[in-house]
Amino acid sequence: MKGRIFDKAQLSEFIDDLIKKRKVYAPINKDGLTCFSEIKSSSEIYFDFQSKLSSKEILFPRCETLFTYKRVDGDVKLEEMKVKDEEIVLFGVPPCEARGFILIDKAFSSGEFQDVYYLRRRENTIIIGKSCQYPRNTCFCTSVGGSPFGREGVDLLLHDLGEKYLLEIVSKKGEKLIDYIQKYENAAETDIKMVQRIEKVAKESMKTRLELKNIEEKLDNMFEDPLWKIIYQKCVGCGVCTYLCPTCYCFDMFDEQVTSSEGKRIRIWDSCQFPLFTLQGSGENPRPTGKERMRQRMMHKFNYYPKNYDDIACVGCGRCIRECPVNLDIREVLNKIMTQ
Amino acid sequence: MLMVDSVQTMRKIAKRLLEEKSVNLIIGYERGTLPFRTTPCFISDVKEVDRLIWDVTCENNLAKYLKDRGEKIGILAKGCDARSIVACIVENQIKRENVFIIGLPCSGVIDRKKVESELNGKEILEATISDDEIILKGEGYNKRLPVKGFLDDSCVSCKHRNPPLYDVIVGEKVLEEMGDDEFISTSKIEDKSIDERWEYFTNELSKCIRCYACRNVCPLCYCEECFVDQNMPTWLDKTDNISDIMVYHIVRVFHTAGRCVDCGACSRACPLGIDLRSITQKMVKLVKELYDFETGLMLEEVPPLATFKQDDPQEFMK
Amino acid sequence: METGNKVTSKINYNEQWQPKIVAFLCNWCSYAGADLAGVSRIQYPPNIRVIRVPCSGRVNPMFIIKALQRGADGVLVSGCHPGDCHYISGNLIARRKFALLKNFLEYIGLEPGRVNFSWVSAAEGEKFAKVVTDVIEQVKTLGPIKKLKKERKC
Repeated sequence: MKGRIFDKAQLSEFIDDLIKKRKVYAPINKDGLTCFSEIKSSSEIYFDFQSKLSSKEILFPRCETLFTYKRVDGDVKLEEMKVKDEEIVLFGVPPCEARGFILIDKAFSSGEFQDVYYLRRRENTIIIGKSCQYPRNTCFCTSVGGSPFGREGVDLLLHDLGEKYLLEIVSKKGEKLIDYIQKYENAAETDIKMVQRIEKVAKESMKTRLELKNIEEKLDNMFEDPLWKIIYQKCVGCGVCTYLCPTCYCFDMFDEQVTSSEGKRIRIWDSCQFPLFTLQGSGENPRPTGKERMRQRMMHKFNYYPKNYDDIACVGCGRCIRECPVNLDIREVLNKIMTQ
Repeated sequence: MLMVDSVQTMRKIAKRLLEEKSVNLIIGYERGTLPFRTTPCFISDVKEVDRLIWDVTCENNLAKYLKDRGEKIGILAKGCDARSIVACIVENQIKRENVFIIGLPCSGVIDRKKVESELNGKEILEATISDDEIILKGEGYNKRLPVKGFLDDSCVSCKHRNPPLYDVIVGEKVLEEMGDDEFISTSKIEDKSIDERWEYFTNELSKCIRCYACRNVCPLCYCEECFVDQNMPTWLDKTDNISDIMVYHIVRVFHTAGRCVDCGACSRACPLGIDLRSITQKMVKLVKELYDFETGLMLEEVPPLATFKQDDPQEFMK
Repeated sequence: METGNKVTSKINYNEQWQPKIVAFLCNWCSYAGADLAGVSRIQYPPNIRVIRVPCSGRVNPMFIIKALQRGADGVLVSGCHPGDCHYISGNLIARRKFALLKNFLEYIGLEPGRVNFSWVSAAEGEKFAKVVTDVIEQVKTLGPIKKLKKERKC
């Protein structure tokens, strides 16, 4: 493990330096609502257990314009919205959300069609994660291939050692970022050992442990299982779980008319739980009730996505559990599936 | 009657209904997966009636689950929930003979967000809930909180704690406390100037992420195709522009005019804690002031926007 | 000030900004009243854009809100007097919708005076001109709409 040591003042200084040259996003507290936002000073940063809205929305915005179109001389001119070529720093991302980006990467960069909007931003982004020392009962990252101190998806990982911070270098990108900064000390052996100690404690404190080893195979034979008819009943079909999920990436597109001869194509988040998500132009809806939609959510995350990308499309952050208006708990559903 | 005694009565009733096959399904509340939560439950097996519970965390409006069910259902309904059921029957979404209402006289449910705020966001590891007090334990704290101090705002000013319609009632009716200003959620905003009000609402609603939790938990929002999803013509865009967000909320609240019972489910469902009742309650107040109408009290009521009086107020007309 | 068939207004047409008012007029009364104003050569400011509807009850509150969102500085909905509706009770049902909408929009913070309702019969050409003039003058003092308007740019 290689890293640098900062005290609180030095960390603020480091971040303020970053702000001078790059766009820095970090968790803030806006009247009680915690989310990631662009900061102009390190004093705006608010570290809570987990922000309400995940950092997903920085790289995959809730609403973005893809291109504009204009009717000119009987022809239609398209102008693509180019993602700005600027360096972005995402600071304070928990390991679960960082892992979420890896999962979205796979979906958005596979095959012939690359999602240039997301990928361009991703290329320009350095992720400075913050390790999670006190996982909650609703966390289950270790059950889905992650860890509270996971290094997947981060370029640098910040550890809170009490009176000081250790900024661990994880990737080459991260190394390049702090390589030139000589004024911060290198992490000593004792510091590294402390990180290893708190990492062990954090992992062991994980209360929710789900046995999901063969869930993909299990679900292979469960498409017509009567279980789905029971599970979906209390779901009201809103989009809270999908919107807050760090790995959900479904979107819708529509055109907004600006004048009679110009408009723009806009992309917005969509949710497989919305009743009209699969409504086809013919009027046919292959997922007409909540049963099909709940089944879809579970199959996508734990069967279809693993088949395509060799990974479970869930990072165990627990937001869907805490924020679901009717307390439909994914852990309960997973246990039911595994014991079916 | 203590809520814990009510639970026994409720379970007996449910058991009898299922055994006699008076209903095919009971919709009620059961313990949730987090220490301080209950969740809707659907019971068709008489052996499972002991899952049913009743306490101050039973916050969901179960009337949501009654639409489009051909069978006879038994449903546990607080005062506001029963009013929603009446409103749905009046609008022909539910058949009266298909629903057996097990009425729950209610003294209010807890606002989880107020409790979370009191705990500074710390995780609740253990919760003991009684009628007057909740004892919450977590990392480094052990707090006793009075239920009365943490009631949901819709419960503080509630005037219909007993279900106005029921087939059987669990325990005795509770006192309909008149309480303070029934419309306090709107009064404090009406006192502001017009620009202050606009600023307040745009500020609050700018947090909205259009997850539609507010719409989806409302028993009266049952349209197969909501106005937000209509195109040809498109009523409003789904962008995060504040104008679109405001229009969504204004129109949604307008669509609940004369139908909203102020149960507070929308406000509680919002993941961002937007105080939706500051707008929904205004519509309830307007309907009461202008047309002397309160939704969901009688099966014979006529929705105020489906009728008129010759002398309806019209000073605003030129 | 009224002189015979002319209703003079205090609007100066040389100023840059002119309000745009969308007027929903019911076919049987208000639209006919507007027509009578025209036939009688009653002058009134040209800032309204008329949309003819069969009855004031046809006006969906979403029309009014969408008009404001699209940049109308004001909206006028005009129908038959109560008791005179061609469809018997369309205007009476509408009266309730309008009362709720107007009060609600004002509560939200929209300036009163932007959304207006009137009863104008087919014989009231002068009244129509007066109502329109009043509305336009009122909206003039309020200025261009900013609240609820969606800024559309490419």
